[in-house]
Amino acid sequence: MATDSNPSRFPRWLKIITIGRNPRLTLLRLAVLIGLVFLLREFVLIPIQIVGPSMLPTYQERGVNFVNRLAYLRSEPHRGDVVAIRYAGEHRMLMKRIIALPGETIEFRNGQVFINDKPLPEPYLATNYPSTWTIPPQQMGPDRYYVVGDNRTMPEVQHVKGAAARERIVGKVLLCKNLFAAWLSPH
Amino acid sequence: MQKLVRGLAVAALIMLGIWVWRILFPSPEHVIRKLVGDLAETVSFDSKDGNISKAYKVSKLQDFFTVDVEIAVDVPGYPPHTFTGRDEITQALMAGQQRFRGLKVEFPDVNVKVSADKESAVVNLTAQANIAGDRDFGIMEFNFLLKKIEGKWKIYRIETVKTLSWRAPEIHERIAA
Repeated sequence: MATDSNPSRFPRWLKIITIGRNPRLTLLRLAVLIGLVFLLREFVLIPIQIVGPSMLPTYQERGVNFVNRLAYLRSEPHRGDVVAIRYAGEHRMLMKRIIALPGETIEFRNGQVFINDKPLPEPYLATNYPSTWTIPPQQMGPDRYYVVGDNRTMPEVQHVKGAAARERIVGKVLLCKNLFAAWLSPH
Repeated sequence: MQKLVRGLAVAALIMLGIWVWRILFPSPEHVIRKLVGDLAETVSFDSKDGNISKAYKVSKLQDFFTVDVEIAVDVPGYPPHTFTGRDEITQALMAGQQRFRGLKVEFPDVNVKVSADKESAVVNLTAQANIAGDRDFGIMEFNFLLKKIEGKWKIYRIETVKTLSWRAPEIHERIAA
């Protein structure tokens, strides 16, 4: 009769739960999982935390979201897309909405946006966030997209907005609302 | 097995050699990155810093710049301002130390481009500044222009980069000039 001269201190069921039936296979799975997460993080989805009020009320401050790097691999950015725009690198980025495309002329008249002299419907703006901005017409260059936040109740001079070069657009913001948006909402 | 151990030992020695070489003879890019990091530490201060520490930082600040340095700042909502000369910059830091309880400056993204003759360089970076007690922070993009003077890298111009700009960035033109 065989006896275990070195009985384990942990019960077998605990070992199975923590390291599996085959530790080598578990280690391999773990390595593959870490590799996949790294690749996903590095080349597909960038996790971001939103700081600042310029995208209120669509995106709450301190909210968590993701930037999809692959969104514009096969197509160009569209009007209405919320995008991440890099500064010198991707550790800090601007989060804005595209409202004018290359070659178009944009103008703000008492809060209303005009593209090529036609009013732009903006269903994504909250009605309780009225704007009175007036900005003279500006024409976009061949690779420039006009980006602005959804919170246009802010004083116009304090709101970062303008023409973003295509090369600075890192990707499209993945979620329409932040993760944990319900927790972050003041109501 | 012995061959494997020997091979690993040789690889470790080579890596150690490369590491020591890099410490003894750092590349211009490495030196500039360190300089920029030191600059962020020098302009940062907190409420726990004593007067001697603050004065030391003010005097140390001069080492980073040429005598005729220019810092052109264009912050949205404020008129553009250019600081000229090391004295004006050190006075600005002293004024900041008196006005605020603390200031934390970080450069989370730093891109260094050294000219072919390795005598000048352009650093494109993101600067993040947080005033003590303030929940929000300011972020701006800058170009630092550096040149080598008596073997040491010195900043001779800093200018705001308009991230959302109608014009293309001029960094490559600058480095070629």
